[in-house]
Amino acid sequence: MGGKVRARHILVFLVIGLGVVGLGVWYWLGRGEEKDHTWAVIQQTGVLRVGMDASYPPFEEIDEATGELRGYDVELAREIGRRLGLEVQFVNIGFDGLYDALIAKKVDAVISALPYDPLRTQDVFYTMSYFNAGLVLVVKEGETEDALSKVEGIESVDDLSGRTLGVEWGSDSDAQGRRLVKRLTGLTLHPYSTPLDTLWGLKNGEVEAVLVDAFSAHHFIKHEGAVKIVGEPVTDESYVIAVGPTSTELLSALNAVLLALRDDGTLIRLRDEWF
Amino acid sequence: MERLKKLRELKNIIRLAAAALLLWLVGMPPKPIVVLGPQQHVETINPKMGVHTRLTDEVEEWKIKRTLEMVREMGAPWIVEYFPWAYYEPQKGRFNWEHADMVVDHARRQGLTVIARLGFVPEWARPRGSTVAYLHRASFDDFGEFVYAFVSHFRGRIQHVIIWNEPNLSLEWGYQPASPERYTELLRFAYAQAKQADPEVQILAGALAPTLAPEGSEWGMDDLVFLQGMYDAGAKDYFDMLAVHAYGWKFPPDDPAAADQVNFARAELLRQVMVRNGDGGKKCIITEGGWNDHPRWTKAVRPGQRIEYTIRAYEKALEEWAWCEGVVLWAFRYPRPARTYQDYYTFVAVDFTPKPIYWQVRKYAQGER
Repeated sequence: MGGKVRARHILVFLVIGLGVVGLGVWYWLGRGEEKDHTWAVIQQTGVLRVGMDASYPPFEEIDEATGELRGYDVELAREIGRRLGLEVQFVNIGFDGLYDALIAKKVDAVISALPYDPLRTQDVFYTMSYFNAGLVLVVKEGETEDALSKVEGIESVDDLSGRTLGVEWGSDSDAQGRRLVKRLTGLTLHPYSTPLDTLWGLKNGEVEAVLVDAFSAHHFIKHEGAVKIVGEPVTDESYVIAVGPTSTELLSALNAVLLALRDDGTLIRLRDEWF
Repeated sequence: MERLKKLRELKNIIRLAAAALLLWLVGMPPKPIVVLGPQQHVETINPKMGVHTRLTDEVEEWKIKRTLEMVREMGAPWIVEYFPWAYYEPQKGRFNWEHADMVVDHARRQGLTVIARLGFVPEWARPRGSTVAYLHRASFDDFGEFVYAFVSHFRGRIQHVIIWNEPNLSLEWGYQPASPERYTELLRFAYAQAKQADPEVQILAGALAPTLAPEGSEWGMDDLVFLQGMYDAGAKDYFDMLAVHAYGWKFPPDDPAAADQVNFARAELLRQVMVRNGDGGKKCIITEGGWNDHPRWTKAVRPGQRIEYTIRAYEKALEEWAWCEGVVLWAFRYPRPARTYQDYYTFVAVDFTPKPIYWQVRKYAQGER
């Protein structure tokens, strides 16, 4: 009699134990296949909600004449929408609230000159970079193409020994310049108040090279000319698109479009258009 | 044979002694890796210079020491540091000063004067679901007792204590309407207890948020109106100095003060309220303030402007504001990145890399420009 009861107890424990293990395995296997509901809703509604802080021209701003949004990121978002067959709905949010809006699912993606942030990668997914706004080295055009170029040309920051470098006082370019001064013999810094003043200093021959952010450099090249970017970017400030932590399919779709935009020259066209 | 036996015994004794030595060494408490070091002094041309440190949440002692060394090397003799009540009295009547002692002792060893800001209500002293800035009238006694314990413990080491932070903001008053009368009452409790613990301690009131909140706003009260409200409620007898928050936003330090403008010189208007109330004999200390150089924040300035304005602010206090004992600007360094515009208030990056503003302020303190 006692043996039968014991056997029944063992059986019950075995069934419960197997059930618990089975549930655990089912949960564990299911975790990796979490559905991208955001993408499903986007497909269903045909609308991509884009969060942006429209106060950072020329990336995004409100056109005072028309009250409409305009800028590089606005056109980028619209182009992404066109290629995905989606209507883009912009939501204007303060810069410090962009991530919260994404996590609270008030927007599907953030396109707002948003720098890649390694500390946020547990909270959001980032696409590939579509623009590097880091510091670049700029010299006068023709500087490296004349007969002396092989001896005196500046191709990278390593060629700055004995030169005068323009930087924006107090900014990242100043900090970077101070680091270079420690490393390179005879490098002198010339501080300016703004990146624009720095670039004018170069054009006017006050300095031999300048360190400015990529956006200011492209803008000056387009509007004033006579200067050019040399070498690789000196620092990295990659602008990316952020999507929610479960938006895997949306992330893939955005990356595919960004790759296409890069390969067919659209990103360069947008840069030339807005800077 | 006998010699062999003796040799074996000797070897055993040596082995035992070596084992005992090893055990003793292992059992010894480890030598502290970070020591206070020799007494240092701040060298500066401007004794009013200061920075608000953020060491409350800094765990590692070497980072605390390094921060304070760098403050000294920059030439700032004053610091403000936050000492949250909940951290030091987690249970009623049970105090743990270990971390606070570490911060204060390192600061003093670097030759710095510490101004302590007290606030942050522990769970046991407030209703469930309320914020850390909520203090019910019934718990004013508890806060007063904490002030007594704090001032007693740091007697001779901390001579300046700020009571609360920005009580004219609803956010900082537990989402209750800002009330100068109620804050004055809190001040009365704190002042009495502090003076009982150490009659020499200087109690700083106010630390009001510069704000242009319209009358009746649920978010806060204009700082000038709030200060007058404090005097009307009898606050004059319950503080020794006024703590002032002086943020410049986009304006230079010499931008003239105006009641409808938030700028650095707004401190002068608070001073006028003091004088109007017959309290001109007391001094002020700016315990927060400064400029921000975030590339996108609407109230930020260019990095070069930030440097110029910061140095001019220190200079202005020295040359023109005899009533201002110190200018403590926000914030020297954060223990971790805020990842918001707040990161652009700092002088030193989280990894201790000095920003250009650090080097320029340091040059100024050394008499160079």
